[in-house]
Amino acid sequence: MLDVYVWFYTGCILVIVGSIATVIGPGVKDPVVRIINTEIPAVGISMIFLTYNHTIALVTFIAATAIVTLILLRAVVRLEEMGAEL
Amino acid sequence: MILVPDVVSPIVVGLYAPAIIVGILVGLIGLFGISVEKNDLHVLILTDIVGIGMLIFVAAVGTDLAESLILPGLVVELAEILAISEILMSREMRKSGKTVELLPTPLHYNLEILQTAPVFLAIILIAYGAFLSGFTGGAIAGAGILFYVMSIKVRGVPSGVWEGLAGVSGMAWCLWLVGFLVLFVFPQYWLLGLMLAAFGVFIKVVFKVGIIGVMNREEFKKE
Repeated sequence: MLDVYVWFYTGCILVIVGSIATVIGPGVKDPVVRIINTEIPAVGISMIFLTYNHTIALVTFIAATAIVTLILLRAVVRLEEMGAEL
Repeated sequence: MILVPDVVSPIVVGLYAPAIIVGILVGLIGLFGISVEKNDLHVLILTDIVGIGMLIFVAAVGTDLAESLILPGLVVELAEILAISEILMSREMRKSGKTVELLPTPLHYNLEILQTAPVFLAIILIAYGAFLSGFTGGAIAGAGILFYVMSIKVRGVPSGVWEGLAGVSGMAWCLWLVGFLVLFVFPQYWLLGLMLAAFGVFIKVVFKVGIIGVMNREEFKKE
């Protein structure tokens, strides 16, 4: 068995690095890049949920993340079609 | 004085402080990004990061309580992002005077398997979901209904079906509540209460997911 702490601290590092990448990472002026960068903290928090055995929360979180990504990408596409500055 | 019940395992107690520190850090990073950013859409995306900080806070409790608090948090976050993105888009529409389609990319899924497989797969999924019962079973059986409704080509669901689905869903909700009441008022019938709650939630989730399927078909197969 792998140590529980490995999963937890890997998750913590991924969450912190991913959120920094989303805020000031390279190319975040483009909203699509920023949306894709939010997936890194999502993976990190999935690992934290795994550490605590939050199965249902993990499953729901994955589904909710997928739907949020769809909603945000739809907003980006529609705003770009209208010619808004992003 | 910090009161920790004995049922909480020592690992969870040991991980509490680092988890809270990480949560605060992530929340501060997200809020810093929001304060620097000017564009509304970017601010909406950064709200996600603050939400993740919130989830770490709740998850650090580490018991079933945390799990039951994460679920509504996720649903509220989802609804909030959906609503704010709609507001942003309608404001932009009003500003520029242009209108665009509701769905930017029309979905055409003409796969042969969608006409031959759905009945069989839906039956398997619903049977397995009924066997599991509860929230997970509801999700699985709902996926079966979703797949069936989206793939079989029957145009124009009569409005009675809608109201029927909503009504059954509401009755299942009552079943769930009655199950909980039984658990508290007549603890000796706990098995009855458990079963009522499990199958109430099962039916509820199945029909919620099924309604998504009906809505999708009405939206996508219009042309």
